[in-house]
Amino acid sequence: MLRVEALRKSFEGFVAVNGARLAVDEGEVVAVIGPNGAGKTTLFHLITGQLPPDSGSIRFRETEIAGVAPHKICRMGVARSYQVVNIFSRLSVFDNVQVAVLARRGKTFNLLRPARTMAVSETRQILKSVGLGDKADRVCGLLSHGDQKVLEIAIALGSRPELLILDEPTAGMSPEETAQTLRLMKRLVAEFGLTILFCEHDMGMVFSIANRIMVMQQGQTIAEDAPEAVRSNPRVQEAYLGETAPC
Amino acid sequence: MIRALFSGKLLLVAAVVLAVLAAAPLMLSRFYVYLMALILVTGLLATSLNLVLGFGGMYQFHHAVFYGFGAYALTLMLTKTGMPAAAAYLLAPCCSAVLGLVIGLITVRLTKLYFGMLQISLGSLVWALAYRWYSFTGGDDGIHGIPIPDLLYASTSAYYFSLIVVAASLLLMYLIVNSPFGRIFQGIRDNPERCRAVGVDVVRHQLAGQAIAGFFAGVAGTLFVTVEGSVFPELMFWTLSLELIIMCLLGGWFVFLGPMLGAAIIVTLRTFVGIYTEYWTLVLGVVLMLLIFFLPEGVLGFALGKARPAAAEAVGEK
Amino acid sequence: MEFASNITAAALFQQVLVGLSRTTILFIVSSGLSLVLGVLRIPNVAHGSLYMIGAFLTYSIATAAGSGAFGFAVALLLAPLGVALLSFAAERGLFCHLYEREHLMLLLFTFSMTLVFNDLVKLVWGSDYRSLTAPGFLQGSFSISGLPFPRYNLFLLVVGPLVAFGLWYLTNRTKIGKIARAAAVDREMVGAVGINVSWVFAATFVIGCYLAGLGGALVAPTQNITQGMDHTIIIEAFLIVIIGGLGNIWGALLGALIFGLTDSLGILIWPQFAIVFPYVAVVIVLLFRPKGLLKSTW
Repeated sequence: MLRVEALRKSFEGFVAVNGARLAVDEGEVVAVIGPNGAGKTTLFHLITGQLPPDSGSIRFRETEIAGVAPHKICRMGVARSYQVVNIFSRLSVFDNVQVAVLARRGKTFNLLRPARTMAVSETRQILKSVGLGDKADRVCGLLSHGDQKVLEIAIALGSRPELLILDEPTAGMSPEETAQTLRLMKRLVAEFGLTILFCEHDMGMVFSIANRIMVMQQGQTIAEDAPEAVRSNPRVQEAYLGETAPC
Repeated sequence: MIRALFSGKLLLVAAVVLAVLAAAPLMLSRFYVYLMALILVTGLLATSLNLVLGFGGMYQFHHAVFYGFGAYALTLMLTKTGMPAAAAYLLAPCCSAVLGLVIGLITVRLTKLYFGMLQISLGSLVWALAYRWYSFTGGDDGIHGIPIPDLLYASTSAYYFSLIVVAASLLLMYLIVNSPFGRIFQGIRDNPERCRAVGVDVVRHQLAGQAIAGFFAGVAGTLFVTVEGSVFPELMFWTLSLELIIMCLLGGWFVFLGPMLGAAIIVTLRTFVGIYTEYWTLVLGVVLMLLIFFLPEGVLGFALGKARPAAAEAVGEK
Repeated sequence: MEFASNITAAALFQQVLVGLSRTTILFIVSSGLSLVLGVLRIPNVAHGSLYMIGAFLTYSIATAAGSGAFGFAVALLLAPLGVALLSFAAERGLFCHLYEREHLMLLLFTFSMTLVFNDLVKLVWGSDYRSLTAPGFLQGSFSISGLPFPRYNLFLLVVGPLVAFGLWYLTNRTKIGKIARAAAVDREMVGAVGINVSWVFAATFVIGCYLAGLGGALVAPTQNITQGMDHTIIIEAFLIVIIGGLGNIWGALLGALIFGLTDSLGILIWPQFAIVFPYVAVVIVLLFRPKGLLKSTW
């Protein structure tokens, strides 16, 4: 479904991504791991079109999407959540997800119908499936951090994607919240047929859900394999030697 | 459609207000009727600005251009062509909308301050043209004694016309703010990056917003011509644009009727203080300075993207 | 419509000189605005009002000190200082409490100040415009290839580079200049190094406003001193600062050159629409370099 080859991106001399490669097949759960500053978030920005790569190729379902505008990539079926919570702070939980649903349905130039009556059941369904159903009318600023991270995923789901890209979905979450998110991710794959690409620092979580793992270091892909193979890979062990606990 | 947005109580209040406004000419002198018409027109203009400023988060530094352009468009159509007045009244705001699109196409790809500054320069260009083109626009004298249709000519008629048009325009704008487009537009204000990530073509929506705001500014322009019978380049001058922003700030730019309130305050202040002293600008200036100085940081601040629960609840939805 | 009917080599040369003398005034005013914008991050709309006050003060002082070279010289000396004093009071009383505010708020605040200043000028000098004649030896014109060139313009052509040099020296060679430039880029760091940023800001603000007053003083003998002066100059100054690069003094010079020359050459090409030319030039520059021609401090 997703093929990344020889991707490069540098910022004023600093090379953030240096020849990364990645393959994600339909229905898989692929994790990207690596020390801080390895270029994981930049990679995600490149895939979702937020940044144009300097060189290399990104193919989604055989279509080249490198350098394509983010809203077009989303329409093709790729949605993402952000590492640092990036929601519509002034709107309610319901409104946040509704924006994504309305955008997906192409209703965004509708000028005269009241928005609050549109796409209600679909939005409520999404909120229920992530466990935020009873908090629908709350203003986002009042949510706990964990709930905000889940809202991140809910917004991405509003676009009904085929490929869901999650940037550190459990960062800053408590163990219960992490377990809940893990269960959610498994359900998304099993019940909704989503393909998930995510990056994480929580190794326990990664190893319990990922079909394959890609390891990045200093912008390069140093391994791309099944979890066990990655765990015993000497280069990977070297990269993580001396790594302090994730933030 | 209207039922879904307005509670019975709100409709009642609106009806009472409209009734009072409709009865006003029967009780007030011609001067006050003229004043109220002016407040309505300025309030409409400020509300149209707030569509893109408060609800859209765009640094609209020269909104007055669209106002003046609509006024001139109507004037030129009435004085230089044989077009029926009704057609002119409908076409003039469309001209403003087109100008909004044209200027928008040039400016929208920039963000924030740079957007505002390019808009000021383009707007000033349009003003300079109007200011110097004596043969066409009357230059710095403007055009006076415009042939307003008889139906709308009298002070009272102009007032009722303004009242009806302003009420209709406000209703339309309110529907737009609460429509899916309005939601997305506010989403673009708070988080354009996220909007792109969920498939929203931000530039296209912003252009549409500019055209809509320009349209209603043009409507206000045509009303001004109806009430005043004249048009002049000052309608497109940057000082008016800044005054409009102040009106939005004063009344509250996250509240739908805020700009209307701000406009009412400033026009009233100007008129009544002006009765007592010729230095009303001084009073206005001092009041504004005090307001801005003592306003706690961020209450009416242009806090884009900052999570403010209180402000979020005050978003103009009823 | 006389279109391009006057273009001869002589006329071109003369208009270029006229444009350059206009550039002097524009540069002096814009550099002050740019200084305040770059270091204090305040978009000072009242800068135009200070220019106007400078012009009115020059009129009053020159008239009081007896017209002629002496009166004018005294006015040229004292009027900008008066404006500087006024700005110092404004800075200590008002602005130093507002440094943390958002730019839009500062813009609206300074705009409100223009309303106040406008009426204060009306209060002191009345609503009529004033005229000041240049001192004797600067009156009249001498001819360049048969076309008249005002002597006062030559005076401006001399003053301009002098002020530019003075500014360059101040910002590049003096300690306070270097500190101000550092504060423009990173005010917190400057404060952390133990320098009293507050006084740096006050000094920069006063100097910037002094330049506004100086511009007004220099322009006084060349045009009617009216109430609307502040409005016209401030939009010109802002556009110049924008195309030059926010906070960049040399950008202000470049912008002033573009503005002044397109204006004067516009008079040659299409006199009726001469004032449109600078605006067109600004739009063209911003289309290609939205952040200005030279590097900004923002």
